[in-house]
Amino acid sequence: MQKFVQALDGDKLRQWLPLVTLVLLVTLVGAFQPSFLRLSTLLQLASDTAVLFVLAAGVTFVIMLGGIDLSLQSMASLASVIVALTVARLGYGSFVLALAVGVLAGLASGLAHVLLKIPSFIATLAMSGVLASSALVLSKERSITLGELDRGYQTWITGTLFGLPNVIIIGFIVLVIAHILQSQTRFGRYSAAIGAGEPAAYASGVKVDRQKVYSYILSAGFAALAGVVLAGRLASGSPTLAAEMLLPSIAAVVVGGTAITGGVGSIWRTLIGALIISVVRIGMTFLGVNIFAQNIVFGAVLIAAVAITIDRSKIPIVK
Amino acid sequence: MINPSAEPVLSLVGVDKRFPGVHALKNVSIEIGRGEVVGLIGENGAGKSTLMKILSGVYQPDSGEIRIAGKPTKLVSAADANTKGIGMVFQEQSLLTNLTVGENIYLGNEAQFSRYGVIDWRALYSAAARQLEKVEVNVDPRCRADDLSFAARQMVELAKALTLEEHAAGHLVVLLDEPTSVLERAEIKVLFARVRSLKSRASFIFVSHRLDEVLELSDRIYVMKDGAVVADLKAADANVTKLHQVMVGRSLQAEYYREPLQKPFRKEVVLEAEGLTLGHAYQDVGFKLHAGEILGIAGVIGSGREELARTLSGFIPHVSGHLLIGGRDVRLTSPAEAVDLGIGYIPRERRVEGLVLFLSVVANITLADLRGLTHYGLIDSRQERKLAANWVERLNIRTPSINTLCLNLSGGNQQKVVLAKWLNAKAKILILDHPTRGLDVGAKEEVYELVRAVTNEGVAVILTSDTLEETIGLSHSLLVMRDGKITHRTEASPGRKPSQIDLIQHMV
Amino acid sequence: MAKTLVTSEAAAPVAGPPIAKARRWRAASWAPVAVLVVLCAIISIINPNFMSFGNAQRIAQAAMIPLVLGIGATFIILMGSIDLSVEGGLTLAAVVLSLLTLNGANSNDFGIFAVLSVLIIGALFGFINGIIHVHFRVPSFMATLGTWFIGVGLANALLGGMAVRINDPGIRGLAIERFLGFPWGAWLALACLAVAFAIQNFTRLGRHIYAVGGGEELAVLSGISVVRVRIIAFTLAGVFYAFGGILAAAQLGLGNAQIGNGRLFTTVTAVVVGGTALSGGQGSVLQTLVGVLIVVVLSNGMVLMGVPPSVQIGVQGLMIIAAVALSIDRKLMRIVK
Repeated sequence: MQKFVQALDGDKLRQWLPLVTLVLLVTLVGAFQPSFLRLSTLLQLASDTAVLFVLAAGVTFVIMLGGIDLSLQSMASLASVIVALTVARLGYGSFVLALAVGVLAGLASGLAHVLLKIPSFIATLAMSGVLASSALVLSKERSITLGELDRGYQTWITGTLFGLPNVIIIGFIVLVIAHILQSQTRFGRYSAAIGAGEPAAYASGVKVDRQKVYSYILSAGFAALAGVVLAGRLASGSPTLAAEMLLPSIAAVVVGGTAITGGVGSIWRTLIGALIISVVRIGMTFLGVNIFAQNIVFGAVLIAAVAITIDRSKIPIVK
Repeated sequence: MINPSAEPVLSLVGVDKRFPGVHALKNVSIEIGRGEVVGLIGENGAGKSTLMKILSGVYQPDSGEIRIAGKPTKLVSAADANTKGIGMVFQEQSLLTNLTVGENIYLGNEAQFSRYGVIDWRALYSAAARQLEKVEVNVDPRCRADDLSFAARQMVELAKALTLEEHAAGHLVVLLDEPTSVLERAEIKVLFARVRSLKSRASFIFVSHRLDEVLELSDRIYVMKDGAVVADLKAADANVTKLHQVMVGRSLQAEYYREPLQKPFRKEVVLEAEGLTLGHAYQDVGFKLHAGEILGIAGVIGSGREELARTLSGFIPHVSGHLLIGGRDVRLTSPAEAVDLGIGYIPRERRVEGLVLFLSVVANITLADLRGLTHYGLIDSRQERKLAANWVERLNIRTPSINTLCLNLSGGNQQKVVLAKWLNAKAKILILDHPTRGLDVGAKEEVYELVRAVTNEGVAVILTSDTLEETIGLSHSLLVMRDGKITHRTEASPGRKPSQIDLIQHMV
Repeated sequence: MAKTLVTSEAAAPVAGPPIAKARRWRAASWAPVAVLVVLCAIISIINPNFMSFGNAQRIAQAAMIPLVLGIGATFIILMGSIDLSVEGGLTLAAVVLSLLTLNGANSNDFGIFAVLSVLIIGALFGFINGIIHVHFRVPSFMATLGTWFIGVGLANALLGGMAVRINDPGIRGLAIERFLGFPWGAWLALACLAVAFAIQNFTRLGRHIYAVGGGEELAVLSGISVVRVRIIAFTLAGVFYAFGGILAAAQLGLGNAQIGNGRLFTTVTAVVVGGTALSGGQGSVLQTLVGVLIVVVLSNGMVLMGVPPSVQIGVQGLMIIAAVALSIDRKLMRIVK
């Protein structure tokens, strides 16, 4: 666990809340529907969570700095379209291309934010439009299904290793990389400092603008990866493939306990948050909750999570 | 004139106020009579602003009474104080720049001009024009506040404070908090003339650092020191020297500032300024800073020393002139550049700019120089912890562990962490901006010792401080600034320290 | 530029010219108008059809919903907050309307009462936004992100995935019937604008909204109840979103849960492009009108120039960046989040 990121606001109890919640939720659903606790179900759950986790992990970096990234689902969708269109010609290169586009998009968002001094949610909202537009144009507004041959390149996503679905392994690798980035690199340390006290970080010689751009590059890059994985799982690319994944991604970060205002947080928290979101979603289906009511539950959960975890001592004026 | 037998319009009786770690007001009692202008002076930290905040309803006293016309009252908020006849003209401009003058004057009180929520603008603006007439300033109330000069805005704020007399039961009391710090001399004369002409309808409390102005305007003067009122003088009986002596109290104690430890500085010039200019803030500043030297800069608000300190730390680049650091001509456009050149900034707002409160002691100490701890892109945590523990010991930082959040340390220890950060980054030049603000006596002494130790190792220091006494006591050399220019230079070696009076004449 | 007072030392009444004259408009507020004019000129040159009455009708038809939504959002942004729940409020209103008025799914036919009920629901929606934000001290960003999904979710739950066709001629008439050539809905939108303008400039609420946006601490010290201002502003915005939902349902002829998709983006773009500052305290619903027209004219123009809709979203994105970059007062914003 983190060595330097301590309790959220001196309240030791609060930091365990998300994990406790997760355990409670799983138990609750399992109590009503024992089939939920079967290994195959749980593996399925973990697989479904993987894509969400990759998205959420990327945006965690931006949120820790005090910003937000609203372009996640457009980026992921665009990435899936890129893969679908180029995998025949480029093979594995198509995945690299998608990631490269992600890096470029993140760079653009980041530069718009630091150079033009545009608030992050506007810059990423605008970027979302540009990316969505690109996806629509490239795909000619339709979904592109991948043929047998193309799917051959995606076995690293769809296959299994010793019985464990590859997506879970991919998610795990992302977890490890993100964790190292966040807790053991200078970038991670500077991000935490900027999020928790930007003036002090600035005065201490941290090149704040540079770090912010890096975080947007990571966020978009991870989103692109999520799109690539999603394309593999669904065997198709489409401009709306990742639609409706924006809120759950952000919710995963916040529910896990990372402050939306930045500073205190960790990738592990995002993991727990993503699992909670998944359990709530899949659990609701298991319990027979109206699928259409699920959005309501999500919205309510998000608000409740923020209301509980937000550290009001740090925010004199809530805008 | 004042009728001695009349009930004071406003009085505080035995008011006490504490904050965590600070006893801000100690059993303070003051009285304001009808039509009086009462001056309130004292050094930074003496308790003036706390007193003003209690009088204006922003804070509540822990004990003691507030009496209006002899009757005990509670002031629960600023708005409440307003309805009881106490208005305040703030130090920092408090007009909303995106609203018009008329809107500002009646902000929060538009109800008297509205029916069912709809405002009758003609009525409001003509009432605003009447208020502006009281202070005799020719401003169209329909202008936006940000179209006006500072002086005009100050008048509008005065007009706004005066609107209270229409509703308040008794005599009006207006608190003037450093109203002259942004005004030119001619504008100050006008402000004073207005205040004098308004004495028939209001009493005033005038807080200022500028002793000559306080003497000019006030009938009586209260002097505060360390949270208590130490003197109540008639202005006619006082002069600047006397006021200053009362304000400062004890004579300079050589021991306090560890003067015996002050060693002569070295010959090497680490920083040189030549003709440094930043618009209105400061002009044509030139000096040399040597290794091991503490260079103190004295001056009041508006002297330019604050901006100079920020320029040297990289926050505001200078516009013309030369800044040579280690012989190289540079222009610092960000603190990062300053840090790369070996400059460290110890800020006055240490909780905002000095430390990241929600990070640990370890993380804060190493923040300015993580490169030395990074191998193959990863931070070596073990090495980092050892390093931090080392500094904690060397500087005697009292903390439960190196992983404690800086939030939980006392002010003095927080300041030591900031110092540790720069020493760790091998800073050769430290800019100390009010380094002992908010610290108790013991913590201050520790800071002085550390500063001495550090300079004896060859680190150079530029010091701007709250008190003249501290500046004189710590420094090897002194610069005095006024209105953006250096007006005096002097040595301050131990045993040959200049007196404060010597310097004040160049400051005001 | 230091202006000095023109008086003598003695306390005599002041002679001389006034210190500063009131300026009705500031240069910055006119920039979006200039942009709009230039835009219209360029499009007309490329395709003269732009200037036809038929096209003006199309523009009115396209602008009426963004205008009403933009008005609601403007009040929130003027306070320095943000409202992401636009789509939620609109969708909920449209769906409830479709179920209460004469429709193809049930036998309700509440006519004008349906409209009134929807407006009340809109107010409630906004009210809840305000309560969550103020009472639970949740930043407006997160509070409205949550209610966005609650609103859409409620609409979804009510419809169960169906779409409901609206048969009430009055409602449909808003989009179809015309008055002086323009749809009744457009006139309704203009009426909303007039009311909003009145509120903004002639009521205490309006001034207090500006005060909260321009300097909240000072507003508090002046005795303004920021809590009340916030809640009322959000409630008001909710009513405007409900109007938007009514118009959208009229335009589409049915209520479904996707009716709000993409509208947040257009709304925020319009408000920002119109010149209302995201930091609060500066701007006006009239400026939002200009912003809406710019966005709509640009879309319309792109269609006339043969640009596919999928590209238009991207162009809007670039436009919002340009608008914000140009209008932001960089000196004020050391820390941008």
